[in-house]
Amino acid sequence: MSVGHVQRAIEQVGIPAVSVCVKAFGHIPELMGLSRSLITQHPMGRPLGAPGDGERQRAVVEAALALLDSPDQVIVEFAEPYRPM
Amino acid sequence: MSEQPEGETETDSAAETETIEQLRQSFWYGSRSNLDFKYLKDLSDAEFGDFVQEMLAAVSATMDTGDAAAVIDTAYRWQIQAYRGHLGDPNDFPHRYEDVPINAMAKPLAQSRLTLVTSSGHFVDGDDPKPFGVESMTQAEAEARIGEFLREAPSLSTIPVDVDVSQLRVRHGGYPTASMRADHQVGFPLGHLTDLVTDGVIGELNPTAYSFSGAASQVRLKKTVAPEWAQRLADDGTEAVLLVPI
Repeated sequence: MSVGHVQRAIEQVGIPAVSVCVKAFGHIPELMGLSRSLITQHPMGRPLGAPGDGERQRAVVEAALALLDSPDQVIVEFAEPYRPM
Repeated sequence: MSEQPEGETETDSAAETETIEQLRQSFWYGSRSNLDFKYLKDLSDAEFGDFVQEMLAAVSATMDTGDAAAVIDTAYRWQIQAYRGHLGDPNDFPHRYEDVPINAMAKPLAQSRLTLVTSSGHFVDGDDPKPFGVESMTQAEAEARIGEFLREAPSLSTIPVDVDVSQLRVRHGGYPTASMRADHQVGFPLGHLTDLVTDGVIGELNPTAYSFSGAASQVRLKKTVAPEWAQRLADDGTEAVLLVPI
């Protein structure tokens, strides 16, 4: 929720923004009218992936950044489930 | 064997009885506080019973297979169910908006300056935001003072993107930080972003990344703090932002 307020404010000064969101809060981007969100199937506290899973973390970051290309609202789910290392 | 210890009255026994509701709530900053499972507070007693049953079955399976996937999946599914219920009726959600402020990229990301902003509560050793004036507040102290955090405006920590990772610290009263302590890139992906600049995916990083503790007054954040931070990012020459919450 706190990131949502910041994301809206950033867009309101003219800067494109994208956020990552864990599934437990996956309903927030739609409710708060966020511009671009990538929802990960990860537990709270591990938004980009498990500790030591650099491959997953980078993949999530890249997938989120790719959403910046969208000129319209986009809220999508990262397909891969959580994988502890 | 008597079910009631000798000398103990029925009234004494009743006074010590813990209800299922009290048990559930004890995981929420209570005597059994566990931020990975604080959501148990938001389950009904019947749901809590289902959770315990499913978790025990998952543990039993793990004892035979050594594969903890079922345990993790059970914790994860109930976390989702509980947090959806936590907000109540979406129509009553106080931060619901019908509009969607959005801007298209002025140029490709490969030619743009990106800024990282997280609500993970990261800061650099020696630059502690010192909540409530407390020096070196521990994670446990932050959890114990969650009520105070939720009434205060958050403060923004500035972190050089070339910071020595060993100097990163994280503290947040609202979520379990152990994973991030083990690997900061779980929620503060400076290394991955730096690699993406090297690989040509991102034009450049803002030399400063930002982090704050998202456990804060949402009203203050929305009305005054977030607009100030957004202007600061614009003044930094930011052309795109990646936000990572907890």
